[in-house]
Amino acid sequence: MSVPLVTLLMWLVTYPARLLGLSLGRLKLPPFWLAFLRFVPVSVFAALIVPDVLGSPEWPRRLVGCAVGVGLMWRTRNLALGILGGFGAYWLARLAGL
Amino acid sequence: MVEPLRHVTPFWPAFWRGFRALMPLWLGIIPFAVAYAVTARAAGLGVGETQLMSLTVFAGASQFAAAGLFAGGASAWGIVATTFLLNARHVLYGLSLARQVPLTRPERVLAAQFLTDEAYGVTVVHGAREPGGLSFGFLLGAELSLYAVWNAATFAGALAGAVLPDPAALGVGVVFPLAFLGLLVPLLVDRKAVIVALASGLGAWGLSRVLPGGLVVLLAGVGGALLGAVLVTRRGEA
Repeated sequence: MSVPLVTLLMWLVTYPARLLGLSLGRLKLPPFWLAFLRFVPVSVFAALIVPDVLGSPEWPRRLVGCAVGVGLMWRTRNLALGILGGFGAYWLARLAGL
Repeated sequence: MVEPLRHVTPFWPAFWRGFRALMPLWLGIIPFAVAYAVTARAAGLGVGETQLMSLTVFAGASQFAAAGLFAGGASAWGIVATTFLLNARHVLYGLSLARQVPLTRPERVLAAQFLTDEAYGVTVVHGAREPGGLSFGFLLGAELSLYAVWNAATFAGALAGAVLPDPAALGVGVVFPLAFLGLLVPLLVDRKAVIVALASGLGAWGLSRVLPGGLVVLLAGVGGALLGAVLVTRRGEA
């Protein structure tokens, strides 16, 4: 199968997932499912982050970088500063041989 | 259905607020898109094919996976199934967004094409600060901010692929979790949120040893949100 055709199929399985949720949003939901949706971002972001840090072959450095990044974000509420500071800490750990 | 009276937010100011709100994430997106393009070119995709995927599929993790699978000679259906698994989580983002952003049908059709983890995260995190509440303009601004930079960086990476250093050597892998931590930290407002984040994160780590990445995010994401809903409704606090 050619690359453009595979790309088209990838698009065809991605777009409907994006549209489906947006289209069902006016459903009246019971409190349990409203609470469920409120917790979706916290849950999904954590599920994206933790395996990417602890499951990495270079996890000690990434852990240092993320700890410093979180500390900066917590204190300053500044995303760019947190990313830059975390990336810097990661490199310090890497240069230190961690 | 009775349409509730609502404050009408002007489109363009909201659009640019959304566009700017996502800009701090560019730092994480650019190396990610360049790395995708370099991987795709190394797998034998042309510049046009590499760009086409960014223009249509527009989903970083699954594009990355597809490039890797093309390189490994995986079957077309394997690539499509992996993409489906990786992107099924967008249903949850849409459900959550649709409750917070009033959207007409054409707006939904358009907003759906550009919906991503990052645009969703920025929109829900900044929503509380939007004058008059979240609007289509803010959402589309955040979405297209990512679309523009993702495609520009894809193009640059596809052209320059051969001369760039190895992304792993630059250590840019750590930027992805850092960017998502920036979205997660403001949401950790009480003990229940912290419990859900820990359970989902550690659960995903455990699952990631035995399952593909897209499925892990879906299962752990649903599991963590279910736990949160149980914690809240059991005490009658919903």
